[in-house]
Amino acid sequence: MTHTHKRIIINRIVMSLSSLSALIGMGFLFWILGVLIYNGVDALNWNIFLNEGAPPGHEDGGLKHALIGQLYIVGVATLAGVPLGVLAGTYLSEYGQKSKLAETIRDISDIMMSAPSIVIGAFVYAVVVMPMGHFSGWAGSIALTIIMLPIILRTTDDMLHLVPSTLREAAFALGAPKYKVIIQVVYRGAKAGILTGVLLGIARVAGETAPLLFTSFNDNFLNTNMNESMASLTVTMFNYATSPYEDWQKLGWAAAFILSMFILSLNIVGRLFLLKKKGR
Amino acid sequence: MATIIDIKEEIALQVKDFEYTYAGADAPSVKKLNMPIAKNSITALIGPSGCGKTTLLRSFNRMHDLYPGNKYAGEILFKNRNILDKNEDLIHLRTQIGMIFQKPTAFPMSIFDNVAYGLRLQGIKNKTELQDRVEKSLQNAAIWKEVKDRLKHDANGLSGGQQQRLCIARAIAVEPEVLLFDEPTSALDPISTAGIEELVVELKEKVSIIIVTHNMQQAARVSDYTGFMYLGELIELGVTENMFVTPTEKLTEEYITGKFG
Repeated sequence: MTHTHKRIIINRIVMSLSSLSALIGMGFLFWILGVLIYNGVDALNWNIFLNEGAPPGHEDGGLKHALIGQLYIVGVATLAGVPLGVLAGTYLSEYGQKSKLAETIRDISDIMMSAPSIVIGAFVYAVVVMPMGHFSGWAGSIALTIIMLPIILRTTDDMLHLVPSTLREAAFALGAPKYKVIIQVVYRGAKAGILTGVLLGIARVAGETAPLLFTSFNDNFLNTNMNESMASLTVTMFNYATSPYEDWQKLGWAAAFILSMFILSLNIVGRLFLLKKKGR
Repeated sequence: MATIIDIKEEIALQVKDFEYTYAGADAPSVKKLNMPIAKNSITALIGPSGCGKTTLLRSFNRMHDLYPGNKYAGEILFKNRNILDKNEDLIHLRTQIGMIFQKPTAFPMSIFDNVAYGLRLQGIKNKTELQDRVEKSLQNAAIWKEVKDRLKHDANGLSGGQQQRLCIARAIAVEPEVLLFDEPTSALDPISTAGIEELVVELKEKVSIIIVTHNMQQAARVSDYTGFMYLGELIELGVTENMFVTPTEKLTEEYITGKFG
Protein backbone atom coordinates (compact mmCIF):
# COMPACT_ATOMS: atom_id res chain seq x y z
CA MET A 1 0.00 0.00 0.00
CA THR A 2 1.45 3.36 -0.98
CA HIS A 3 1.70 6.31 1.31
CA THR A 4 -0.98 8.23 -0.59
CA HIS A 5 -3.32 5.27 -0.36
CA LYS A 6 -2.96 5.16 3.38
CA ARG A 7 -3.66 8.84 3.66
CA ILE A 8 -6.78 8.59 1.56
CA ILE A 9 -8.12 5.79 3.75
CA ILE A 10 -7.35 7.65 7.00
CA ASN A 11 -9.02 10.70 5.55
CA ARG A 12 -12.16 8.68 4.77
CA ILE A 13 -12.28 7.21 8.28
CA VAL A 14 -11.92 10.60 9.96
CA MET A 15 -14.48 12.14 7.63
CA SER A 16 -17.05 9.39 8.28
CA LEU A 17 -16.55 9.54 12.05
CA SER A 18 -16.89 13.31 12.23
CA SER A 19 -19.88 13.34 9.89
CA LEU A 20 -21.56 10.63 11.95
CA SER A 21 -21.00 12.58 15.17
CA ALA A 22 -22.40 15.72 13.59
CA LEU A 23 -25.44 13.76 12.41
CA ILE A 24 -26.04 12.36 15.90
CA GLY A 25 -25.92 15.85 17.38
CA MET A 26 -28.25 17.22 14.72
CA GLY A 27 -30.47 14.18 15.16
CA PHE A 28 -31.12 14.99 18.81
CA LEU A 29 -31.92 18.59 17.95
CA PHE A 30 -34.50 17.60 15.37
CA TRP A 31 -35.84 14.86 17.63
CA ILE A 32 -36.45 17.44 20.38
CA LEU A 33 -38.04 19.83 17.92
CA GLY A 34 -40.13 17.02 16.48
CA VAL A 35 -41.48 15.88 19.85
CA LEU A 36 -42.17 19.50 20.82
CA ILE A 37 -44.04 20.24 17.63
CA TYR A 38 -45.96 16.95 17.73
CA ASN A 39 -47.15 17.44 21.31
CA GLY A 40 -47.15 21.23 21.38
CA VAL A 41 -49.14 21.96 18.25
CA ASP A 42 -51.65 19.35 19.35
CA ALA A 43 -52.12 21.22 22.64
CA LEU A 44 -52.33 24.66 21.05
CA ASN A 45 -55.61 26.52 20.74
CA TRP A 46 -56.81 30.09 21.08
CA ASN A 47 -57.92 29.61 24.67
CA ILE A 48 -54.31 29.21 25.68
CA PHE A 49 -53.63 32.82 24.79
CA LEU A 50 -56.94 34.15 26.12
CA ASN A 51 -57.46 32.35 29.42
CA GLU A 52 -55.66 32.28 32.69
CA GLY A 53 -54.78 29.17 34.62
CA ALA A 54 -57.64 26.99 35.80
CA PRO A 55 -57.86 24.08 38.22
CA PRO A 56 -57.37 20.67 36.66
CA GLY A 57 -60.49 19.37 34.99
CA HIS A 58 -61.62 22.75 33.67
CA GLU A 59 -61.41 22.69 29.93
CA ASP A 60 -60.79 26.43 29.49
CA GLY A 61 -57.43 26.66 31.26
CA GLY A 62 -54.85 28.80 29.44
CA LEU A 63 -51.41 30.29 29.70
CA LYS A 64 -52.23 33.98 29.40
CA HIS A 65 -51.00 34.60 32.97
CA ALA A 66 -47.70 32.87 32.27
CA LEU A 67 -47.16 34.56 28.90
CA ILE A 68 -47.78 38.03 30.31
CA GLY A 69 -45.77 37.32 33.46
CA GLN A 70 -42.90 36.10 31.28
CA LEU A 71 -43.06 39.27 29.18
CA TYR A 72 -42.95 41.44 32.30
CA ILE A 73 -40.09 39.61 33.97
CA VAL A 74 -37.95 39.27 30.83
CA GLY A 75 -38.91 42.76 29.66
CA VAL A 76 -37.75 44.44 32.86
CA ALA A 77 -34.59 42.33 32.87
CA THR A 78 -33.90 43.45 29.29
CA LEU A 79 -34.51 47.11 30.07
CA ALA A 80 -32.02 46.90 32.92
CA GLY A 81 -29.52 44.44 31.47
CA VAL A 82 -29.06 45.82 27.96
CA PRO A 83 -27.97 49.37 28.80
CA LEU A 84 -25.84 48.14 31.70
CA GLY A 85 -24.21 45.45 29.58
CA VAL A 86 -23.62 47.66 26.54
CA LEU A 87 -22.17 50.49 28.63
CA ALA A 88 -19.95 48.12 30.59
CA GLY A 89 -18.76 46.54 27.34
CA THR A 90 -18.05 50.02 26.01
CA TYR A 91 -15.95 50.77 29.07
CA LEU A 92 -13.94 47.57 28.58
CA SER A 93 -13.27 48.04 24.89
CA GLU A 94 -12.89 51.81 24.63
CA TYR A 95 -11.68 53.04 28.02
CA GLY A 96 -10.36 50.19 30.16
CA GLN A 97 -8.79 48.35 27.20
CA LYS A 98 -5.99 46.21 28.58
CA SER A 99 -5.81 47.79 32.03
CA LYS A 100 -5.82 45.58 35.12
CA LEU A 101 -9.32 46.65 36.10
CA ALA A 102 -10.69 45.85 32.64
CA GLU A 103 -8.99 42.45 32.52
CA THR A 104 -10.35 41.63 35.98
CA ILE A 105 -13.86 42.57 34.91
CA ARG A 106 -13.49 40.35 31.84
CA ASP A 107 -12.35 37.40 33.96
CA ILE A 108 -15.14 37.86 36.49
CA SER A 109 -17.75 38.15 33.79
CA ASP A 110 -16.46 34.98 32.12
CA ILE A 111 -16.82 33.20 35.43
CA MET A 112 -20.30 34.64 35.93
CA MET A 113 -21.31 33.41 32.51
CA SER A 114 -20.67 29.84 33.55
CA ALA A 115 -22.13 30.21 37.04
CA PRO A 116 -25.08 27.83 37.55
CA SER A 117 -28.22 29.90 37.20
CA ILE A 118 -29.75 28.26 40.26
CA VAL A 119 -26.94 29.74 42.36
CA ILE A 120 -27.81 33.21 41.07
CA GLY A 121 -31.44 32.47 41.97
CA ALA A 122 -30.38 31.54 45.50
CA PHE A 123 -28.30 34.74 45.72
CA VAL A 124 -31.24 36.94 44.73
CA TYR A 125 -33.41 34.98 47.14
CA ALA A 126 -31.00 35.86 49.93
CA VAL A 127 -30.52 39.54 49.11
CA VAL A 128 -33.93 40.51 47.69
CA VAL A 129 -36.65 37.99 48.51
CA MET A 130 -35.69 37.45 52.17
CA PRO A 131 -35.45 41.15 53.11
CA MET A 132 -38.69 41.91 51.23
CA GLY A 133 -40.35 38.98 52.89
CA HIS A 134 -42.06 37.67 49.78
CA PHE A 135 -41.48 36.50 46.21
CA SER A 136 -41.81 39.15 43.50
CA GLY A 137 -41.55 39.78 39.80
CA TRP A 138 -38.82 42.33 40.53
CA ALA A 139 -36.68 39.64 42.16
CA GLY A 140 -37.14 37.45 39.07
CA SER A 141 -36.09 40.30 36.82
CA ILE A 142 -33.03 41.02 38.96
CA ALA A 143 -31.94 37.38 38.75
CA LEU A 144 -32.35 37.38 34.96
CA THR A 145 -30.52 40.71 34.66
CA ILE A 146 -27.55 39.25 36.52
CA ILE A 147 -27.50 36.27 34.16
CA MET A 148 -27.88 38.45 31.08
CA LEU A 149 -25.28 41.04 32.03
CA PRO A 150 -22.04 39.10 31.39
CA ILE A 151 -23.32 37.83 28.03
CA ILE A 152 -24.13 41.30 26.72
CA LEU A 153 -21.04 42.82 28.30
CA ARG A 154 -18.70 40.34 26.64
CA THR A 155 -20.33 40.40 23.21
CA THR A 156 -20.32 44.20 23.24
CA ASP A 157 -16.66 44.20 24.28
CA ASP A 158 -15.78 41.69 21.53
CA MET A 159 -17.83 43.39 18.84
CA LEU A 160 -16.44 46.85 19.59
CA HIS A 161 -12.99 45.31 19.54
CA LEU A 162 -13.63 44.06 16.00
CA VAL A 163 -14.07 47.62 14.75
CA PRO A 164 -10.68 48.39 13.17
CA SER A 165 -8.62 50.86 15.21
CA THR A 166 -7.84 52.76 12.01
CA LEU A 167 -11.51 53.71 11.83
CA ARG A 168 -11.26 55.27 15.28
CA GLU A 169 -8.01 56.97 14.34
CA ALA A 170 -9.60 58.36 11.19
CA ALA A 171 -12.38 59.93 13.25
CA PHE A 172 -9.91 61.33 15.77
CA ALA A 173 -7.84 62.67 12.87
CA LEU A 174 -10.83 64.79 11.84
CA GLY A 175 -10.88 66.35 15.29
CA ALA A 176 -13.63 64.27 16.88
CA PRO A 177 -13.77 64.03 20.67
CA LYS A 178 -13.70 60.51 22.08
CA TYR A 179 -17.37 60.19 23.00
CA LYS A 180 -18.38 61.18 19.48
CA VAL A 181 -15.94 58.69 17.98
CA ILE A 182 -17.56 55.96 20.08
CA ILE A 183 -21.18 56.90 19.47
CA GLN A 184 -20.98 57.96 15.84
CA VAL A 185 -18.34 55.65 14.41
CA VAL A 186 -17.58 52.69 16.66
CA TYR A 187 -21.19 51.88 17.62
CA ARG A 188 -22.26 52.12 14.01
CA GLY A 189 -19.55 49.75 12.94
CA ALA A 190 -20.52 47.24 15.63
CA LYS A 191 -24.30 47.73 15.43
CA ALA A 192 -25.19 44.32 14.04
CA GLY A 193 -22.86 42.50 16.42
CA ILE A 194 -24.15 44.27 19.52
CA LEU A 195 -27.75 43.64 18.49
CA THR A 196 -26.92 39.96 18.08
CA GLY A 197 -25.42 39.87 21.55
CA VAL A 198 -28.52 41.53 22.97
CA LEU A 199 -30.85 39.06 21.24
CA LEU A 200 -28.80 36.07 22.31
CA GLY A 201 -28.69 37.42 25.85
CA ILE A 202 -32.49 37.75 25.93
CA ALA A 203 -32.88 34.29 24.41
CA ARG A 204 -30.61 32.86 27.07
CA VAL A 205 -32.54 34.27 30.06
CA ALA A 206 -35.98 33.71 28.54
CA GLY A 207 -35.46 29.98 28.97
CA GLU A 208 -34.31 30.11 32.60
CA THR A 209 -36.39 28.29 35.20
CA ALA A 210 -34.18 27.68 38.20
CA PRO A 211 -33.52 31.33 39.14
CA LEU A 212 -37.23 32.14 38.87
CA LEU A 213 -38.28 29.33 41.19
CA PHE A 214 -36.56 31.23 44.03
CA THR A 215 -37.56 34.71 43.05
CA SER A 216 -40.73 35.36 41.10
CA PHE A 217 -42.07 31.96 42.13
CA ASN A 218 -45.38 31.33 40.37
CA ASP A 219 -49.02 32.31 40.22
CA ASN A 220 -51.87 30.47 38.60
CA PHE A 221 -53.66 33.71 37.74
CA LEU A 222 -52.86 36.87 35.85
CA ASN A 223 -50.87 39.36 37.89
CA THR A 224 -49.23 42.48 36.56
CA ASN A 225 -47.95 43.76 39.89
CA MET A 226 -44.19 43.25 39.87
CA ASN A 227 -44.23 43.45 43.66
CA GLU A 228 -45.96 40.11 43.96
CA SER A 229 -45.07 36.64 42.90
CA MET A 230 -45.59 36.24 39.20
CA ALA A 231 -46.18 33.44 36.75
CA SER A 232 -43.62 32.69 34.06
CA LEU A 233 -43.76 30.30 31.13
CA THR A 234 -40.85 28.28 32.39
CA VAL A 235 -42.01 27.74 35.98
CA THR A 236 -45.59 27.18 34.81
CA MET A 237 -44.36 24.63 32.33
CA PHE A 238 -42.42 22.87 35.08
CA ASN A 239 -45.45 22.78 37.39
CA TYR A 240 -47.91 21.66 34.74
CA ALA A 241 -45.64 19.07 33.18
CA THR A 242 -44.88 17.43 36.52
CA SER A 243 -48.53 17.42 37.60
CA PRO A 244 -50.59 14.23 37.42
CA TYR A 245 -53.43 15.87 35.43
CA GLU A 246 -53.58 15.24 31.73
CA ASP A 247 -55.00 18.65 30.77
CA TRP A 248 -52.29 20.40 32.76
CA GLN A 249 -49.65 18.24 31.07
CA LYS A 250 -51.05 19.33 27.71
CA LEU A 251 -50.73 22.94 28.73
CA GLY A 252 -47.16 22.17 29.78
CA TRP A 253 -46.43 20.95 26.24
CA ALA A 254 -47.99 24.07 24.79
CA ALA A 255 -45.83 26.23 27.08
CA ALA A 256 -42.72 24.30 26.03
CA PHE A 257 -43.63 24.76 22.37
CA ILE A 258 -44.29 28.50 22.65
CA LEU A 259 -41.11 29.07 24.66
CA SER A 260 -38.96 27.09 22.23
CA MET A 261 -40.35 28.87 19.21
CA PHE A 262 -39.74 32.25 20.87
CA ILE A 263 -36.15 31.42 21.73
CA LEU A 264 -35.52 29.73 18.39
CA SER A 265 -36.72 32.79 16.49
CA LEU A 266 -34.62 35.13 18.66
CA ASN A 267 -31.60 32.98 17.88
CA ILE A 268 -32.34 32.86 14.18
CA VAL A 269 -32.86 36.62 13.96
CA GLY A 270 -29.67 37.16 15.97
CA ARG A 271 -27.67 34.95 13.65
CA LEU A 272 -29.15 36.58 10.56
CA PHE A 273 -27.86 39.93 11.80
CA LEU A 274 -24.43 38.42 12.25
CA LEU A 275 -24.53 36.90 8.76
CA LYS A 276 -25.52 40.22 7.27
CA LYS A 277 -22.60 41.85 9.03
CA LYS A 278 -20.14 39.26 7.76
CA GLY A 279 -21.54 39.49 4.26
CA ARG A 280 -20.65 43.13 4.00
CA MET B 1 25.98 64.86 9.95
CA ALA B 2 22.75 64.75 8.19
CA THR B 3 22.51 66.74 4.99
CA ILE B 4 19.53 69.05 5.15
CA ILE B 5 19.07 71.62 2.43
CA ASP B 6 17.77 75.08 3.02
CA ILE B 7 14.24 75.53 1.90
CA LYS B 8 13.55 78.71 -0.04
CA GLU B 9 9.76 78.63 0.33
CA GLU B 10 7.84 79.46 3.42
CA ILE B 11 8.03 76.79 6.11
CA ALA B 12 4.83 75.02 7.22
CA LEU B 13 6.30 72.87 9.96
CA GLN B 14 9.68 72.97 11.63
CA VAL B 15 10.88 69.90 13.51
CA LYS B 16 13.53 70.72 16.14
CA ASP B 17 15.57 68.14 18.05
CA PHE B 18 12.56 65.89 17.99
CA GLU B 19 12.67 62.57 19.79
CA TYR B 20 9.93 60.04 20.16
CA THR B 21 9.83 56.99 22.42
CA TYR B 22 7.10 54.34 22.35
CA ALA B 23 5.58 53.14 25.61
CA GLY B 24 7.81 50.54 27.23
CA ALA B 25 10.71 51.05 24.78
CA ASP B 26 14.20 51.79 26.10
CA ALA B 27 15.47 53.71 23.12
CA PRO B 28 13.70 56.40 21.12
CA SER B 29 12.33 55.40 17.69
CA VAL B 30 13.02 58.85 16.30
CA LYS B 31 16.27 60.49 17.40
CA LYS B 32 17.27 64.18 17.55
CA LEU B 33 15.55 64.92 14.33
CA ASN B 34 15.64 68.34 12.67
CA MET B 35 13.60 68.93 9.57
CA PRO B 36 11.79 71.77 7.83
CA ILE B 37 8.58 71.05 5.89
CA ALA B 38 7.95 73.45 3.01
CA LYS B 39 4.58 75.12 2.65
CA ASN B 40 2.39 74.18 -0.32
CA SER B 41 4.84 71.51 -1.36
CA ILE B 42 4.95 67.77 -1.11
CA THR B 43 7.56 66.28 1.16
CA ALA B 44 8.05 62.53 0.84
CA LEU B 45 9.49 60.46 3.66
CA ILE B 46 11.26 57.33 2.51
CA GLY B 47 13.37 54.71 4.24
CA PRO B 48 13.36 51.02 5.12
CA SER B 49 10.67 49.52 7.36
CA GLY B 50 11.10 50.49 10.98
CA CYS B 51 13.11 53.63 10.19
CA GLY B 52 10.61 55.84 12.01
CA LYS B 53 8.97 57.61 9.09
CA THR B 54 5.41 56.69 10.07
CA THR B 55 6.23 57.39 13.72
CA LEU B 56 7.35 60.88 12.73
CA LEU B 57 4.28 61.38 10.54
CA ARG B 58 1.92 60.41 13.34
CA SER B 59 3.59 62.93 15.62
CA PHE B 60 2.48 65.85 13.44
CA ASN B 61 -1.17 65.37 14.45
CA ARG B 62 -0.34 63.78 17.82
CA MET B 63 -1.99 60.51 16.77
CA HIS B 64 0.29 58.76 19.27
CA ASP B 65 -1.63 60.39 22.09
CA LEU B 66 -4.47 57.90 21.57
CA TYR B 67 -2.29 55.27 23.19
CA PRO B 68 -0.87 55.79 26.65
CA GLY B 69 2.75 55.92 27.71
CA ASN B 70 4.42 57.45 24.66
CA LYS B 71 7.00 60.21 25.08
CA TYR B 72 7.82 63.22 22.91
CA ALA B 73 10.88 65.44 23.29
CA GLY B 74 12.00 68.48 21.35
CA GLU B 75 9.68 70.70 19.36
CA ILE B 76 7.49 70.69 16.29
CA LEU B 77 6.69 74.29 15.38
CA PHE B 78 3.47 75.01 13.53
CA LYS B 79 2.08 78.53 13.22
CA ASN B 80 4.50 79.85 15.81
CA ARG B 81 3.63 77.33 18.46
CA ASN B 82 5.05 74.06 19.64
CA ILE B 83 2.37 71.47 18.92
CA LEU B 84 4.03 69.01 21.31
CA ASP B 85 3.07 71.31 24.17
CA LYS B 86 1.02 69.59 26.85
CA ASN B 87 -1.68 72.24 26.58
CA GLU B 88 -2.06 71.89 22.83
CA ASP B 89 -5.76 71.51 21.91
CA LEU B 90 -5.59 68.23 19.99
CA ILE B 91 -9.08 68.54 18.56
CA HIS B 92 -8.20 71.90 17.06
CA LEU B 93 -4.77 70.68 15.92
CA ARG B 94 -6.31 67.74 14.07
CA THR B 95 -8.69 69.99 12.18
CA GLN B 96 -5.64 71.92 10.96
CA ILE B 97 -3.45 68.90 10.26
CA GLY B 98 -5.46 66.10 8.63
CA MET B 99 -4.46 62.53 7.91
CA ILE B 100 -5.05 59.88 5.27
CA PHE B 101 -4.35 56.30 6.26
CA GLN B 102 -2.83 53.26 4.61
CA LYS B 103 -6.14 51.46 4.25
CA PRO B 104 -9.24 53.43 3.29
CA THR B 105 -11.19 54.27 6.43
CA ALA B 106 -14.71 54.97 5.18
CA PHE B 107 -17.06 55.26 8.15
CA PRO B 108 -20.07 52.92 8.24
CA MET B 109 -22.45 55.61 6.98
CA SER B 110 -23.51 57.19 3.70
CA ILE B 111 -21.06 58.82 1.29
CA PHE B 112 -22.53 62.23 2.10
CA ASP B 113 -22.35 61.71 5.86
CA ASN B 114 -18.73 60.59 5.56
CA VAL B 115 -17.66 63.84 3.95
CA ALA B 116 -19.95 65.91 6.18
CA TYR B 117 -18.58 64.24 9.31
CA GLY B 118 -15.76 66.68 9.99
CA LEU B 119 -17.94 69.65 9.04
CA ARG B 120 -20.66 68.62 11.45
CA LEU B 121 -18.03 68.21 14.15
CA GLN B 122 -17.22 71.87 13.62
CA GLY B 123 -20.84 72.71 14.26
CA ILE B 124 -21.96 73.35 10.69
CA LYS B 125 -25.64 72.44 10.57
CA ASN B 126 -26.93 74.56 7.70
CA LYS B 127 -28.09 72.13 5.02
CA THR B 128 -27.13 74.16 1.97
CA GLU B 129 -23.73 74.98 3.38
CA LEU B 130 -23.13 71.31 4.15
CA GLN B 131 -24.24 70.31 0.67
CA ASP B 132 -22.05 72.91 -0.99
CA ARG B 133 -18.96 71.99 0.95
CA VAL B 134 -19.49 68.24 0.52
CA GLU B 135 -19.88 68.70 -3.23
CA LYS B 136 -16.82 70.94 -3.44
CA SER B 137 -14.71 68.49 -1.48
CA LEU B 138 -15.84 65.55 -3.57
CA GLN B 139 -15.02 67.53 -6.70
CA ASN B 140 -11.59 68.46 -5.40
CA ALA B 141 -10.99 64.82 -4.57
CA ALA B 142 -11.92 63.89 -8.16
CA ILE B 143 -14.71 61.55 -7.15
CA TRP B 144 -17.80 63.75 -7.53
CA LYS B 145 -18.78 62.38 -10.93
CA GLU B 146 -18.70 58.81 -9.69
CA VAL B 147 -20.76 59.35 -6.56
CA LYS B 148 -23.04 62.31 -7.21
CA ASP B 149 -26.03 60.04 -7.92
CA ARG B 150 -25.55 57.88 -4.87
CA LEU B 151 -24.60 60.21 -2.06
CA LYS B 152 -27.06 58.46 0.23
CA HIS B 153 -25.54 55.03 -0.38
CA ASP B 154 -23.32 53.24 2.12
CA ALA B 155 -19.72 54.35 1.63
CA ASN B 156 -18.52 50.78 2.12
CA GLY B 157 -20.03 49.89 -1.26
CA LEU B 158 -17.33 51.89 -3.04
CA SER B 159 -14.14 50.33 -4.42
CA GLY B 160 -10.88 50.69 -2.49
CA GLY B 161 -9.61 53.49 -4.70
CA GLN B 162 -12.92 55.34 -4.50
CA GLN B 163 -12.97 54.93 -0.72
CA GLN B 164 -9.49 56.39 -0.47
CA ARG B 165 -10.54 59.40 -2.55
CA LEU B 166 -13.62 59.69 -0.36
CA CYS B 167 -11.33 59.79 2.68
CA ILE B 168 -9.31 62.52 1.00
CA ALA B 169 -12.54 64.44 0.30
CA ARG B 170 -13.49 64.02 3.96
CA ALA B 171 -10.09 65.29 5.09
CA ILE B 172 -10.03 68.34 2.80
CA ALA B 173 -13.64 69.26 3.61
CA VAL B 174 -12.53 70.80 6.90
CA GLU B 175 -9.89 72.83 5.01
CA PRO B 176 -6.75 71.75 6.87
CA GLU B 177 -3.43 73.46 6.28
CA VAL B 178 -1.37 70.30 6.32
CA LEU B 179 -2.29 66.81 5.12
CA LEU B 180 -0.41 63.73 6.26
CA PHE B 181 -0.50 60.70 3.96
CA ASP B 182 0.54 57.38 5.47
CA GLU B 183 1.31 55.11 2.52
CA PRO B 184 -2.02 56.05 0.96
CA THR B 185 -1.74 53.76 -2.05
CA SER B 186 -0.19 50.62 -0.60
CA ALA B 187 -3.61 48.90 -0.55
CA LEU B 188 -4.60 50.03 -4.06
CA ASP B 189 -4.21 48.79 -7.62
CA PRO B 190 -1.96 50.70 -10.09
CA ILE B 191 -4.80 52.62 -11.74
CA SER B 192 -6.25 53.82 -8.44
CA THR B 193 -2.71 54.62 -7.32
CA ALA B 194 -2.16 56.85 -10.35
CA GLY B 195 -5.45 58.62 -9.58
CA ILE B 196 -4.46 59.30 -5.98
CA GLU B 197 -0.99 60.51 -7.00
CA GLU B 198 -2.48 62.97 -9.49
CA LEU B 199 -4.84 64.18 -6.80
CA VAL B 200 -2.06 64.66 -4.25
CA VAL B 201 -0.14 66.84 -6.71
CA GLU B 202 -3.24 68.97 -7.33
CA LEU B 203 -3.89 69.37 -3.63
CA LYS B 204 -0.58 71.06 -2.88
CA GLU B 205 -1.93 74.34 -4.16
CA LYS B 206 -4.01 74.57 -1.03
CA VAL B 207 -2.25 72.43 1.54
CA SER B 208 1.21 71.38 2.59
CA ILE B 209 1.63 67.65 2.19
CA ILE B 210 3.81 65.09 3.88
CA ILE B 211 3.64 61.60 2.40
CA VAL B 212 5.20 58.44 3.78
CA THR B 213 5.82 55.88 1.09
CA HIS B 214 7.61 52.60 0.60
CA ASN B 215 7.58 53.18 -3.08
CA MET B 216 10.57 55.20 -4.22
CA GLN B 217 9.12 55.73 -7.68
CA GLN B 218 6.10 57.26 -6.02
CA ALA B 219 8.28 59.63 -4.03
CA ALA B 220 10.13 60.57 -7.20
CA ARG B 221 6.89 61.08 -9.14
CA VAL B 222 4.93 63.23 -6.73
CA SER B 223 7.20 64.99 -4.26
CA ASP B 224 9.11 68.27 -4.30
CA TYR B 225 11.30 67.33 -1.37
CA THR B 226 12.37 63.93 -0.16
CA GLY B 227 13.60 63.01 3.27
CA PHE B 228 15.47 59.75 3.72
CA MET B 229 15.25 58.25 7.19
CA TYR B 230 17.29 55.40 8.61
CA LEU B 231 17.22 53.93 12.13
CA GLY B 232 15.20 56.82 13.51
CA GLU B 233 17.38 59.55 12.04
CA LEU B 234 16.92 61.86 9.11
CA ILE B 235 19.91 61.12 6.93
CA GLU B 236 19.19 63.52 4.13
CA LEU B 237 16.56 66.02 3.07
CA GLY B 238 16.82 67.41 -0.41
CA VAL B 239 15.02 68.51 -3.54
CA THR B 240 13.54 65.30 -4.92
CA GLU B 241 15.23 65.44 -8.35
CA ASN B 242 18.64 65.91 -6.81
CA MET B 243 18.06 63.27 -4.15
CA PHE B 244 17.37 60.56 -6.67
CA VAL B 245 20.08 61.59 -9.13
CA THR B 246 22.94 62.87 -7.01
CA PRO B 247 22.36 62.14 -3.34
CA THR B 248 24.90 63.64 -0.98
CA GLU B 249 24.93 60.96 1.68
CA LYS B 250 26.39 57.55 0.98
CA LEU B 251 23.54 55.82 2.86
CA THR B 252 20.94 57.57 0.73
CA GLU B 253 22.66 56.46 -2.43
CA GLU B 254 22.87 52.88 -1.21
CA TYR B 255 19.18 52.83 -0.29
CA ILE B 256 18.05 54.42 -3.53
CA THR B 257 20.12 52.07 -5.63
CA GLY B 258 18.69 49.12 -3.75
CA LYS B 259 21.79 48.00 -1.87
CA PHE B 260 19.62 47.57 1.25
CA GLY B 261 16.06 48.15 2.29
